[in-house]
Amino acid sequence: MMQPKGIGRRDFMRAGAGIVSAGLAVAQASGAQNAAPDAEPYKVHWYPFTEHPDSDTCWSLSVGPDGRIYAAACAEGVPGGVVKPVRYNEQKDGLDYLFNLAEMVDDPGDSGHATQCKIHYSFAPSMHDHVMYMATHLSGPPIDLPVYNPWYSWHDKKRLFRGAALLAFDTQHDRVLWWDTMIPKEGCRCLLHDEERGLLYAISYPRDHFFIYDLKTRQRRDLGRIGSINSQTVFLDRRHRVWTTNDYGHLVRYTPDTDRLEISPDTLPHANYQTGWHSVFYDVAPAPDRECVYASTWCPNPHLMRIWPNEGEWPRIEDLGPATQDRDLTFPVDMFRDHCGGLVFGGDGKLYYVASRWRDPVYNPLPPPHKEREGVVWRLDPRTLERTEVTRLVHPNGFAHYVSRGAVDHNGDLFFGHVGSNPCGIFKVSMPADRKRENAHLPIRMWG
Amino acid sequence: MQTKSKLRFDPNSPRIKEYLDQVHHHTFMGEGTMVAFPTCLPGMTIQIPLDESHITALAAAPDGTVYGATSGRRSHLFIASLHWLNGIVFDLGMPAGATQGAAVCCTDAGFVAFVNGARGGRAISAPLLDLAPEDLIQEWGFERPDLTDHGECVAGEAVVHAVVDASRKTIVGTTTRHIFTMDASFKVHVVAEAPGNGRIAVASRGGIFGRDEGATLWRYDPASQSLERKAVKLPEGFGDQPPLWATDRHTGVLYTADAQGTLYSFHEGQGFSGPLGRAPLAPVGPMAVTFDGRVFGFCGDEMAKMFCYDPAARTVSNLGVAVSVLERRRYGYVFGDAVTGRDGEIIFGEDDNGGHVWMYFPRIRDARA
Repeated sequence: MMQPKGIGRRDFMRAGAGIVSAGLAVAQASGAQNAAPDAEPYKVHWYPFTEHPDSDTCWSLSVGPDGRIYAAACAEGVPGGVVKPVRYNEQKDGLDYLFNLAEMVDDPGDSGHATQCKIHYSFAPSMHDHVMYMATHLSGPPIDLPVYNPWYSWHDKKRLFRGAALLAFDTQHDRVLWWDTMIPKEGCRCLLHDEERGLLYAISYPRDHFFIYDLKTRQRRDLGRIGSINSQTVFLDRRHRVWTTNDYGHLVRYTPDTDRLEISPDTLPHANYQTGWHSVFYDVAPAPDRECVYASTWCPNPHLMRIWPNEGEWPRIEDLGPATQDRDLTFPVDMFRDHCGGLVFGGDGKLYYVASRWRDPVYNPLPPPHKEREGVVWRLDPRTLERTEVTRLVHPNGFAHYVSRGAVDHNGDLFFGHVGSNPCGIFKVSMPADRKRENAHLPIRMWG
Repeated sequence: MQTKSKLRFDPNSPRIKEYLDQVHHHTFMGEGTMVAFPTCLPGMTIQIPLDESHITALAAAPDGTVYGATSGRRSHLFIASLHWLNGIVFDLGMPAGATQGAAVCCTDAGFVAFVNGARGGRAISAPLLDLAPEDLIQEWGFERPDLTDHGECVAGEAVVHAVVDASRKTIVGTTTRHIFTMDASFKVHVVAEAPGNGRIAVASRGGIFGRDEGATLWRYDPASQSLERKAVKLPEGFGDQPPLWATDRHTGVLYTADAQGTLYSFHEGQGFSGPLGRAPLAPVGPMAVTFDGRVFGFCGDEMAKMFCYDPAARTVSNLGVAVSVLERRRYGYVFGDAVTGRDGEIIFGEDDNGGHVWMYFPRIRDARA
């Protein structure tokens, strides 16, 4: 179905939850390899951003150096909207609102410029000093305009986004240590911290440039453009090389020794009817032993994959197959409906992730009480690659199928950031006792 | 719970409707069609590496093929043959030690690329290729020509720019400190000491013009081999702006712009016109003239916007940010050179990582209107 004229890029995310049809046949999701167990072992709880009612998205959720969960209450659809970082408080079983980030970086929501509206896969921890770095992204319109387009306003000094703000938050003392404009005029799409070398790596939007920020000198370097479609993740290997993707699904590697961005000859796994175009990283989770990573793509019919960056001239890549269901191949399913994110290793050494499932009269006629769209939490055994559906995320009045990021806290419980409801929020999935462990978040993921 | 923020504007107001119309319909390529072509035979060979593919020099051969040079970690020379049964950007190779493509000229004796590196600017030549007989749908077979290195044009000085004269036999070029010529046997003759600044161009009567000291242009006459310093005064507003030129092949009129983006035409013998209009942004970058006289170019740094100067209507219009949705889906932000293609299309060289050869097909005018 075509989007009605005038529907914005994000509007489709807010499609109503009430579209429920009855009398449909039993679900037959093609991705499922095991039936869903009862929900009790993986109890789901929803934490809406009630103290930030403008929030409409949660693009970042990460575990901090303190083992607690941090999330971004973003407000990108609201003129003048700003992002407020929150933290899960296990004592009160609720959220603490840390600060208004726009005010902290002297770029308030009513500036007339595009706003500091969100943190987009850009939390990055620093273990030695207990700092959580966070960098902002753009798209929130100025307070007196309905939308912001960075291409349209690139040369407009009155409306232009000031730039991605990098902020260092001391998680021990709950204070902002410093901030800087990391990428002028552009947003930060994703962020990585190489703690041993004191460097942050980022990809900018909209120009898709690769940036290196030196935390000691607070100087940035622009390594230039990668392409047109942002990868949504950068990750680090043992040799301090930084990996991401380009428009055509090739790996892009930055090697500090050569100071070059290079492109792999092969493409990432993708559906066989596709070319690899748009197979950019969505989410990448490191295996606990750091020998490989697990990734999903930001592409219709996203595939899961396992990548071994420490092997060979270019990594060995294993295609773990599609993350979501079969579909009509003549219809371009949108990437909001067809989605896989929230990749995180639990304390049990298994990979958890959330993949969407949606009603399709031919390929997946989900009957009630299933909603039209669902977010399914999967557990993947890295040894056998067996996948098990462990629970479904349940939103009180909307869909819960689009998870941006997942993280495990120091207690071993899972958390997932969610996009598409208003106000937005995060999910907690309480892990069964035998699948938890203390300090399950270690070794910590160093990228957003 | 707090209440949601209230809008501070009327979404149905004319101001907002106009804004939305501009954003949705005029941000990208409001007129004509762009096609970004990768620096390879798509699907068959790989592109020039990311950091070696800033396209900074182009020249059109008489048959419509385009020769070019890149800048970056290494400079590549290439031919873009985008007609017939071709559809290829053929990487001709990398002159040793070259990191900047300054200029490319198509002469009767072949194409000559001027490249810079650790040493002074050098001339590299090869024969012009005729790829028209090749069938790049079925099967093909051609070879990479040998590149001949003719050495430094002026010892220790980078080449700034070069053009071929109207006879297509003599090249006139500039280094950072000299004007030189190169004859059909690729022999270099230093004409005079003069600071090289920006690009040079062949004007309507065959004279070659380049930026001179002060706000002036020098003129070199290839026929008499004479140089006239400070031959023409530039309009006010040029400052130290290195000039860029576009040539109307039909009339020989040159177009250029000052530091503020004000456009001027230049006719040899008549001099500069008054201001023709102002590009939406400054500085003005590469531009070229299509067969009906319209000038298409880019303006603004970092994320350039395309503009059109229409001499018939004496208007300048903003065509938005370049984007290609045919062949490759790509935004175009920075461009290094432009030439007019075989059929009047404009060929732009993208001066960016992963630079593509961009073909712009202007909107066809309704001749009956």
